[in-house]
Amino acid sequence: MTTRRSILTGGLAAAALTSAPSIITTQAQPSRARTLRAVMHADLRVLDPIWTTANITAYHGAMIYDTLFGLDANFTPQPQMVSKWGLSDDKLTYTFELRNGLTFSDGQAVTAADCVASIRRWAARSGSGQSMMARVKDTPVVDDKTFRIVLSEPYGLVIDSLSTISTSLCYMMRKKDAETDPNQQVRETIGSGPFLYNREETRPGNRHVYDRNPNYVPRAEPPSGMAGGKVVKLDRVTFENIADEQTALSALQAGEIDFYEVPPQDLIDELKKDKNLTVEVLNKTGHIAFMRLNHLYPPFNNPDARRAMLHLARQDDVMGAIFGAQSKSWQACGSFFGCGTPMTNDENTDWFKKGQDIARAKELFQKSGYDGRPVVVLQATDHYLANPAGLFAAQWLRSVGVNVDLAAMDWGALVSRRAVKKPPAEGGWNIFSTTVTGITFSDPIAFTGQAANGEKSWFGWPADALQEKLRDKWATAPTLEARKEIAKELQNNGWNYIPHVILGQFFRNSAWRKNVTGVLGMPEVVPFWNMEKAAAI
Amino acid sequence: MSVIAAEPALIAAKPRSAQLRRFARRNPTIVAGGTILAIIAALAIAAPLFAGDAITMQPALRLRPPSEANWFGTDHLGRDVFARTVYGAQVSLFVGISVAAMSITGGLVIGLLSGYFRKVDAVVMRLMDGLMAIPAILLAIALVALTRASVTAVIVAITIPEIPRVVRLVRAVVLSVREAPYVEAAIAGGTPTWKILLRHILPNTIAPLIVQATYICASAILIEAALSFLGAGTPPEIPTWGNMIAQSRLFLSRAPWTIFCPGIALALVVLAVNLLGDGLRDRLDPRLARRM
Amino acid sequence: MLAYIARRLASTVLVMGIVAVFVFLLLHLSPGDPAAIIAGDNATAEQIEGIRKQLGLDDALPVQFYRWLAAVLHGDLGISIFSNEPVAKLISQRIEPTLSLALTTLIIAVTLAVSFGVVAAWKVGSWIDRSLMVVSVLGFSVPVFVVGYMLIYVFSISLRWLPVQGYSPIDQGFGPWIERLILPSIALGLAYVALIARITRTSMLEVLAEDYIRTANAKGVATRSVLLKHALKNAGVPIVTVIGIGVALLIGGVVITETVFNIPGVGRLVVDAISKRDYPIIQGVILIFSGVYVLVNLLVDLSYTLLDPRIRY
Repeated sequence: MTTRRSILTGGLAAAALTSAPSIITTQAQPSRARTLRAVMHADLRVLDPIWTTANITAYHGAMIYDTLFGLDANFTPQPQMVSKWGLSDDKLTYTFELRNGLTFSDGQAVTAADCVASIRRWAARSGSGQSMMARVKDTPVVDDKTFRIVLSEPYGLVIDSLSTISTSLCYMMRKKDAETDPNQQVRETIGSGPFLYNREETRPGNRHVYDRNPNYVPRAEPPSGMAGGKVVKLDRVTFENIADEQTALSALQAGEIDFYEVPPQDLIDELKKDKNLTVEVLNKTGHIAFMRLNHLYPPFNNPDARRAMLHLARQDDVMGAIFGAQSKSWQACGSFFGCGTPMTNDENTDWFKKGQDIARAKELFQKSGYDGRPVVVLQATDHYLANPAGLFAAQWLRSVGVNVDLAAMDWGALVSRRAVKKPPAEGGWNIFSTTVTGITFSDPIAFTGQAANGEKSWFGWPADALQEKLRDKWATAPTLEARKEIAKELQNNGWNYIPHVILGQFFRNSAWRKNVTGVLGMPEVVPFWNMEKAAAI
Repeated sequence: MSVIAAEPALIAAKPRSAQLRRFARRNPTIVAGGTILAIIAALAIAAPLFAGDAITMQPALRLRPPSEANWFGTDHLGRDVFARTVYGAQVSLFVGISVAAMSITGGLVIGLLSGYFRKVDAVVMRLMDGLMAIPAILLAIALVALTRASVTAVIVAITIPEIPRVVRLVRAVVLSVREAPYVEAAIAGGTPTWKILLRHILPNTIAPLIVQATYICASAILIEAALSFLGAGTPPEIPTWGNMIAQSRLFLSRAPWTIFCPGIALALVVLAVNLLGDGLRDRLDPRLARRM
Repeated sequence: MLAYIARRLASTVLVMGIVAVFVFLLLHLSPGDPAAIIAGDNATAEQIEGIRKQLGLDDALPVQFYRWLAAVLHGDLGISIFSNEPVAKLISQRIEPTLSLALTTLIIAVTLAVSFGVVAAWKVGSWIDRSLMVVSVLGFSVPVFVVGYMLIYVFSISLRWLPVQGYSPIDQGFGPWIERLILPSIALGLAYVALIARITRTSMLEVLAEDYIRTANAKGVATRSVLLKHALKNAGVPIVTVIGIGVALLIGGVVITETVFNIPGVGRLVVDAISKRDYPIIQGVILIFSGVYVLVNLLVDLSYTLLDPRIRY
């Protein structure tokens, strides 16, 4: 008896068989033993690390591209693609020479012309790059392996900028790719890095596949951060997109994936008890969670209202909600540069030492002439920080009599809305929260949030002439010690004009199966060279 | 005792309790469903009187198991689960009832007009087909994600895909009733259209619409939970059973009360509404009623 | 019959056109767009504007719509804004898992539900009838993702009988393929058992009240034969209708199940696309889904002629 059921079954089966030709082609698959399956903190969507500043794309970049310089584990720049370099006596001309054996995955050798074009494209987007390019007169190509950067005035951060670990990183692409408009996506994935991007086996939204690049010539030194020899000890690495945290965690525990970059953080104590897993913090500079204030509209266009927020925010609340009150994964921090970084200092932190002071905050709000209008707080319900941060911002503000419009939305809507310069009631905003790695937060040039040139700055658009002068002074300071001194001035001023309020500093643990070794810890990027996988347990 | 006094006793109706018991025996599903719903609705309305604080977060008290102080324990932000479950009844029931009411009303109006007026019918049915062809949950996610999360957005998002189904139902009734002789007589007699619609056609739609309303209500409560799971539901500050479950899903093994308490409440209400709907349908559908 | 099919196909095109316009307006009239998401956290408002212009998102709505429509009419569903791959290719890569899941779910749900409904109708009024209905309604009352998590917890983590997540293509072995589909199909199927069981029971009850059933019973025909050969077939029309509606709901349920069990299907594709505002994917997938839905309904209507010889087009 033919029923609808049998018609449907037959039709579906036929459709299934004819719709996936690429899966049917037989290909030699690398053994499971030499394949590492990793779940990262986000799904890789954009492949051009200059077009986007998203961290996951920087990870992708580290796989298939290479950099001129790389930061080692002590955050000291080391030559990577460069074999030797020099600075002229007048401190205006840098000369770089590339090392031998560097080739792109299409077979072409890496030339100085490729590097110059890549630097220019990168500089159009990166904060560090822009700061550097403002002082660059020319970037002449001397020969196939040598090029120069000629400055109009001495600038101490050239090497630091080229080796920056804050997005966008200065990855080297082919000249013809690097000549693409920075506002347009580069479609090719041809790089000179330790891995090759396997387009055929990649399924966007599901899995990205990287194969070992057999033609990559690593440096001789041992690996250290983004510096040293990038020796790949696996045949294949895949980035798996498992959207559901619970499912990804179960998969890790069952051995179906090998590496989980950010497992649910309040389960860390339990994960540490699992004998099959190694649990460790890879980014030792941590992350800073902060609440950004909109300087364009009331109430936070008034400095007293902003000062009130300094006294109102309670770092224990937000951090405790995400990690648990007793957790060692977080600490309260009052420095404009995060804690535990070279620029950390103690200036102007009375508000921090006293802790939450509701009475003072109330007083300051009244002094600012707060008129009762609702404060628009953007809350991204799918973001691990923005979600509780939004809830707490509302709770704190309400406790001092401020009206709150808590706008719940997804992260995509938040990043769109925070770019809107209209009044909060017309589609703008007053407060949003997000995180940045410790190392980026501590860099007045690399962190776009440190700029204070009004409408040209990062969302919030603070305007403070002194901040800009001090940033310039910091960039052109001759030594690290000098920069530390200027950092004190920057912090003093920073907590006066208050572009944002700190919600805490935290360290996220990653987890991987015990048979995976050689994991390099680094902020902003997870290097997959040097990782090895022993026989399955 | 005089004979005259005895007569009224014979004519008096059976006692109320006996009548109710007979109703209950004959319609256990309606009674079961209705009672559960009535209790939960009463609790929901009375929430401010006894439930406690559902909003304040106290991270120091997070994930505490049920105790004297917190009957259902606390969630990952230190909020009282009992208070949130009770207040959650308010929002979940509000969402369910609003969606049912709005979709029935909208569907009824459109269905009546479409079924009665041929010219309107062709256009409307194509529009309804188009609307039904879009998967409801995707439409809801898109609507909520693209505006902003709020109870209103969720209600509108769930209502829109439900309307075409109601329209179909009403239209089917209208089409069949329209051919009935008494309607033809009424038209021939010059009765104005609105009177025909209201007096003759509308009453025939009531029974199936009531039943449909219960199913829509149950389904809406579940869809709200699904939307919250996918991150496109009501704002997390407002307690609904759906978003309580969705936000606590990491704690299934560690703090199961955060999922089971709203989960059982949700299942109970949906079950009750479905039972009510089943019972009503068995009762109101004349062909089935004969068999019972 | 053929004329009927032709007419229906023509109206399919019209319906899909309405869907296209509706979805396009929904996406483009709402605030927000992919530019900010693309630019990433460290970018400024100017950079977002630059990307927006490059993507053509700044152009007037009718212009953008015309551009997209023209492409679709040539069979080109466009290119994903984020991954730069053609939408058609992305969909074809993900269709097998979704179809597999839908298929196994339908089989489980229909088998269980029709059995429940037939038995319940046969034993109407008894405790078997009531408990079967309550059990099936219970399956409909618990959210799919809660059932999913519980199944994973019991069968994958505690008992280790089945894998936690993922999908194995059928050409890499039938065993792994079905292994990974069992739990998701059960989680999703339970929700539809109630729907189909209810209608089966009602429909069967109506048919069992008919005269010809009484005649068959009086003639001494075996109960099983009466139920299955005579009653069920005649009860078929409403049952099949509901199965058709179920397919539409299945598309929605598949989205949740694919997320919980990490199945790389079209449901996940479009949910991800919505959160990233990847318009071409959203528009393309919804268009295809609606096409499938309308075609399924056509098949359902055509199947009536097989079940009920009185129905002719």
